[in-house]
Amino acid sequence: MSDSPPTSPTFADVNRDVLRTLGPPGNLYFAWMSVVALILAGGILAWTGQIWWGMGMAGKRVPQQWAMYITTFVFWIGIGHAGTLISAILYLFRARWRTSIYRAAEAMTIFAVLTAGLFPLIHAGRMWFAYFLVPYPNQRDLWPNFRSPLVWDVFAISTYLTISTVFFIVGLIPDIAAVRDASTGWRRRIYALLSLGWEGSDSQWRHYRRAYGLFAALATPLVLSVHSVVSWDFAMALVPGWHSTLFAPFFVDGAIFSGFAMVLVLVLPMRHFFKLHAYIQDKHLDAMGKLILVTGLVLTYFYVCEIFTTLYSGDEFDKASLFWKVTKSYAWALWTMYFCNCVAPLILFWKKARTSPVVLYVVSILVLIGMWFERFNIIVPSLGHAFYPWAWGIYVPTLTDTSIVIGSFAWFLLLFLGFIKVMPSLSIVEVKETLPPPLKDRVHGPHH
Amino acid sequence: MVPTTETVLGVFAHVDTTVHALEELRAKGYHDLTVYTPVPVHEIEEVLERDRPVSRVRLFTLIGGLTGAVSGFLLTIWSALVWGLTTGGKPVVSIPPFVVIAFELTILFGGLATLIGMVVLGRLPRLAPSPTFDPRFTNDRFGVAVHCATGRGGSVREILRGAGAEEVRP
Amino acid sequence: MNRRDFFKIVATSGATAAVAGCQQTTEHILPLVVPNEQLVPGVASWFATVCRECPAGCGVLARNREGRVVKLEGNPDHPVNQGALCVRGQAALQGLYHPERFAGPQIWEAGSLRPAAWDVAQKAVGDRIAALRSAGKGRAIALVSQLESGSLGALLDRWARALGARPRVTLEPFGYEALRAANRIAFGRDAIPYHAVEDAEVVLSFGADFLETWLSNVNHARGFARMHTFRDGRAGTFIHVEPRQSLTASNADEWVRNAPGTEGLLALAILKAMIDGGLADRRFAEAVAQVDVKKAAEQCGVTVETIKHLAKVFGHAKPGLALGGGVAVTGANATQTQVAINLLNAAAGNVGKTVRFGPDSAYGRVTPFAEVAQLAQAMRAGEIDVLLLGPGVNPAFTLPGGLRFAEAARKVGLVVSFANQPDDTTALAHVILPDTHWLESWGDYAPREGVLGLLQPTMAPVRDAKQMGDALLGIARAVLGTEEGRGPLPWTTFEQYLKAQWAPVVKANWAAALQQGGAWKDVAAAAVTAKTAAVDPAPAKLEGEAGGFVLLPYPSLRFYDGRGASRAWLQETPDTMTQAVWDAWVEIATETAAKLGIAQGDVVRVSSPHGALELPAYVSATLHPQAVAIPIGHRYASYHVPRYVAASPGGANPMALLGPAADPASGGAAFLSVRVTLAKTATRRPLAILQATHDQHQRELAQHVDLRAAREQALRGRHGEEAHVSMYPEKTYPGYRWGLAIDVDACIGCQACAVACQAENNVPVVGKAQAAYGRQLHWLRIERWAEGKAAHPTNLFVPMLCQHCEVAPCEPVCPVFAAYRTDEGLNAQVYNRCVGTRYCGNNCPYHVRRFNWFQHEFPAPLEVQLNPDVTVRQLGVMEKCTMCVQRIMAGKDHARDEKRPVKDGDILTACQQTCPTQAITFGNLKDDTSTVTQLARSPRGYHSLEELGTRPSVTYLRKVVREHA
Repeated sequence: MSDSPPTSPTFADVNRDVLRTLGPPGNLYFAWMSVVALILAGGILAWTGQIWWGMGMAGKRVPQQWAMYITTFVFWIGIGHAGTLISAILYLFRARWRTSIYRAAEAMTIFAVLTAGLFPLIHAGRMWFAYFLVPYPNQRDLWPNFRSPLVWDVFAISTYLTISTVFFIVGLIPDIAAVRDASTGWRRRIYALLSLGWEGSDSQWRHYRRAYGLFAALATPLVLSVHSVVSWDFAMALVPGWHSTLFAPFFVDGAIFSGFAMVLVLVLPMRHFFKLHAYIQDKHLDAMGKLILVTGLVLTYFYVCEIFTTLYSGDEFDKASLFWKVTKSYAWALWTMYFCNCVAPLILFWKKARTSPVVLYVVSILVLIGMWFERFNIIVPSLGHAFYPWAWGIYVPTLTDTSIVIGSFAWFLLLFLGFIKVMPSLSIVEVKETLPPPLKDRVHGPHH
Repeated sequence: MVPTTETVLGVFAHVDTTVHALEELRAKGYHDLTVYTPVPVHEIEEVLERDRPVSRVRLFTLIGGLTGAVSGFLLTIWSALVWGLTTGGKPVVSIPPFVVIAFELTILFGGLATLIGMVVLGRLPRLAPSPTFDPRFTNDRFGVAVHCATGRGGSVREILRGAGAEEVRP
Repeated sequence: MNRRDFFKIVATSGATAAVAGCQQTTEHILPLVVPNEQLVPGVASWFATVCRECPAGCGVLARNREGRVVKLEGNPDHPVNQGALCVRGQAALQGLYHPERFAGPQIWEAGSLRPAAWDVAQKAVGDRIAALRSAGKGRAIALVSQLESGSLGALLDRWARALGARPRVTLEPFGYEALRAANRIAFGRDAIPYHAVEDAEVVLSFGADFLETWLSNVNHARGFARMHTFRDGRAGTFIHVEPRQSLTASNADEWVRNAPGTEGLLALAILKAMIDGGLADRRFAEAVAQVDVKKAAEQCGVTVETIKHLAKVFGHAKPGLALGGGVAVTGANATQTQVAINLLNAAAGNVGKTVRFGPDSAYGRVTPFAEVAQLAQAMRAGEIDVLLLGPGVNPAFTLPGGLRFAEAARKVGLVVSFANQPDDTTALAHVILPDTHWLESWGDYAPREGVLGLLQPTMAPVRDAKQMGDALLGIARAVLGTEEGRGPLPWTTFEQYLKAQWAPVVKANWAAALQQGGAWKDVAAAAVTAKTAAVDPAPAKLEGEAGGFVLLPYPSLRFYDGRGASRAWLQETPDTMTQAVWDAWVEIATETAAKLGIAQGDVVRVSSPHGALELPAYVSATLHPQAVAIPIGHRYASYHVPRYVAASPGGANPMALLGPAADPASGGAAFLSVRVTLAKTATRRPLAILQATHDQHQRELAQHVDLRAAREQALRGRHGEEAHVSMYPEKTYPGYRWGLAIDVDACIGCQACAVACQAENNVPVVGKAQAAYGRQLHWLRIERWAEGKAAHPTNLFVPMLCQHCEVAPCEPVCPVFAAYRTDEGLNAQVYNRCVGTRYCGNNCPYHVRRFNWFQHEFPAPLEVQLNPDVTVRQLGVMEKCTMCVQRIMAGKDHARDEKRPVKDGDILTACQQTCPTQAITFGNLKDDTSTVTQLARSPRGYHSLEELGTRPSVTYLRKVVREHA
């Protein structure tokens, strides 16, 4: 407990402070909600139109038969990585600074995956037949083609969603119990139900702790596998700029990078509006700043590798594709990406920057932009300049793709804003664990 | 008729006093104890775990994981053989891609089995709260419930009070 | 029984059926009111007839399923096209099922056309004519028809005589009057001979677009393939002289870009050089006495070396063939130019060998333009009171704007049109008596002496229509007051007349003639002697500002004179050279564009003394800087707007810019007669161009080999199977393994295969905006790849379709097995299974997979044309070439019925069947004796993007380029 601050809160304070976040929301909250809901409505409208009139409503074409939908899909999957990473890997590493943020991060993960999960549907030309990808016994005994990376996606992502959710809920149980015991009336009954009647008896704790450890052990390889599988959607194809063994680690690192950026984007306002400075302290921000910096540097290294292997391989198609990306129609997107992902994070070398919420916020936003463009640059320009010059072309987004992509952000925020008002967005139990337990011979705190 | 056992609950504010109480009780031969804590406390576990086996949750995980792996390979290989369709000049049963499916199922089944294990072994869900539970236990209080033969309650209360319980009941 | 016999048998049986169908006219064509034993559901009947989309008169077999014609194929027995069809022929179906066909007779009342009953409409015409006759003004009746060389023509003439009308005018916008005049002058024979391209060693063409529209393009293409395609070490040479690199020019081994209008001079200079080099008959020396090769070279804008070189090549040819035609040879000096070309042929001793009088072309019967102009004059002067316009003529659109035909027509009391769908001329008509489409008609057509093709109804009329012959006989009876069987026109129906005409020809073998699609015999070449008179080589005189650009209005391969333009298929078929669809354009040389600051897609105002057009610019590196070129015949049918194009841009036909001028010597229309000025407008109308670039970027998609190298390889003979390196066991094929061989050396880029594929496989039309954005659905596309200098490129044409790869990148990525490899080596696509992830499309290196971005409709009654053997694809599914799997199935069934395996040649894919140059070969790759296997192992064979290891089932054969080219 040496790293706990001089006047650290008591157990009771923790309950009080965390449960306060669940209090009746203010106007600002509702204002936010309504804006978000409006944008979401726009997205839903656009999707309806696309289902009704056809894929042509979106700006896709030959050669860019994939474009912003898959870009955004990969983006959200990437975001979905930080949560489980923090809760699983850092848990195994016993990194204590995770405790104050992991709940928010896990929630983010699940909502991000839920958002990402929509895109394969939005993207499919006949989304009403999307269930063909699910292995189920049909009359003709025709099963999915398990050689297709898209089927791997179905398995990887549904597994990831399930495990993350379980992990999340298990983590929540004791806290829900705490909320239950602090609330009254119908709320109490609901929370009672959700808490599965948790009491914190020794036998419950005993199995709970063991299970939690096992979840962490299972989730760790899963996190790494999911984005690798997603990366294989591209690496398994022969499109110049896709066909690379580099992709799996490259994508995983990028995912963590963007994931942490998103965590900061969500946690910093929480800390500000809920006044949680006592729990989300500068040292936590500092730690996350460091992680972003490191993953950013690794990503830069991968970019260099990508270019080097292309040039060194002597594959004319790859070279042509690369030179086109760097110099022609989509160069702006590429250089935006390089700036946001390679240059911007460098400021985090300074501790001042790492502990300044403003700087961190700006950097995080830039990183998110950069990472979205990374996926865009992998998909759209590569397809636009592949093997066969007859088909080379430029993709022009329409109102439909654009509003659906923006709508996805609204959908994500809606879920998250909802969550922070019904569930403790800080882990009561784990925060308490980091505090000095109340001892008779060393008492402090407001009461006593 | 009079019940053969009674239960005494001691509510503590501090960990050290709780631990002290537990030591006392065990020394006096009271082994049927239920301890409520807002967080898992290492010291308390120390005392309680001495004569208990390790949780059997991991057994569930292992079985679940293995089932996942096996069913993954069975599903992919069998279903590929049903029609035996060739794609991209690759063999009908192409193991490398199937490994991915098997891996994901391993994790999925393993995880779900663990959940089941935890719920079953932890006696969850519990619909009605147990008589000795007190809402404060999820906040900042520690509870020790002693189940003893009828008539021994008196001495138990003494032990608890002696150890520094804020409150003892009944 | 082979395929042909099969056709013949069903053709006969079907014929009788259709007669029955033809009697009763009905709004909707299905179900047949009189079901008949010939039409077995699911079994096709084939009817032999003659294509009337242009005057070439190719033989056609119409495939009739359940009473509806669903596909046209060339008649393999017909001497003109020998089984092939061009784009226009393939697209004729869209004329048959055109959504705007007249529902029945129409009469102009109170400012609009109103439906009327046949007797009413005919009476309206008959009364007017009767009145004129009683007033002794028979000369006020004028009858205009397209080139009708058979019985209908004869009947029309009888009709005109019987009613005392003016002699019939045969209106063909491309009349080749100069050819006739020149032959009259040089050989004393007013005829257009048979040009035996196939027998020539060297073809020297002065602007003749003989692979596109000139005289008989399919016949010429067949001949060209025979003379030019590399076959066991031999290949002829083709040299083309034209100011613009046309499709024909780009097929030449050597394209000479001359100054517009200097063809005659160049021909004489070459003749001179030949004589100087002792390569030609000295008797012609005096004809070119005053020609100075050096000066000529300057005037023509070519080097003396070129002239000498051409003289050498042409002089050594045994035999050669010089052709003259196209726009550049239709100026005021057209006849002189053609005479010069005739001299070239005569001096080189080609006459009688490759230039054969005797089997003369029907074009010899076209009324010279000058006389058409006189008719217009008479109309304007009010001398014409009844003007009858047969089907296929659209003078208001196809005649030079300077003639102001529409204005003249308004002076005519009664304009009667027999057209069956609206066009610029029907807009002027008072009465419309819709003729049946030629696929619904009886008739005959003789494209040249010795070839007499028979037309028979291939199905019941789609709309309430009556054959022109029947209508006119009816009117004549009414006017003359004769009852059936009497008088100068005793025939009840045109069919009766036709049979009467054929009786002496076929005797009792009427059925046999129907089966064969006509009757033909060889006509011996008639001997002619050439006069060696001197020729005036002065270039054509041109109207318009001296500073202007020479206008080259050229006939369009897709639209001919405009007849094809109402077919959506043709509108969406790219013009091979520009790869543009759905729009007209003005081709402007790069230098000019730079000077005037015009960028591609800028709308440019093209003005001549006779009119002006506003067209988007196509900037061309190859066009002669003194010229601008505009394709003839572009217009939209009203149902195209706004379905396929946002708005109709109005006039796009360059004929509007031409004056009434005619070549004095021949009376032919002077296409090369005006200079135009260009003015950039503020608006832009980007063209829908399907091919992103013509530069291969060293990807060797279209490969070529030098003739000498090709010869050596050919001698060294077949190279064996290339050994594949693979981790996996080789795929085995229990039965057949289908494959294609495509000869890039033979492909002339005519697009016939593309439209045949569209017709066979129910490929929808998407419209300009979608096509421009890479969303067209063609399963087969013709790419043009240009190599060498931008101003003077060598063009290679590559038909690109699904390669049916053995290691197909598209298959393993499909999550639902919609794409997989069949046991017969096809890359199958299961539409019902497809969920539209489009992963396969991304992963196909050839981009041959097409996606249904929208639910595409087939405006009624075009949906009737859909091939019942092919699924119509739904919104959101991926589709692509199936190698005509439905034909493979049919072929296998047929073979099974005969208890034998499929033989080579049993199955023809739609593209292969129609290819005029036989560049495409389908067959079984497991059979070592099959043609496709032989070709696949040819030393010229290569695979597209071979280094990717996709192992395509399609083998391309390298183009053979000539040393000097």
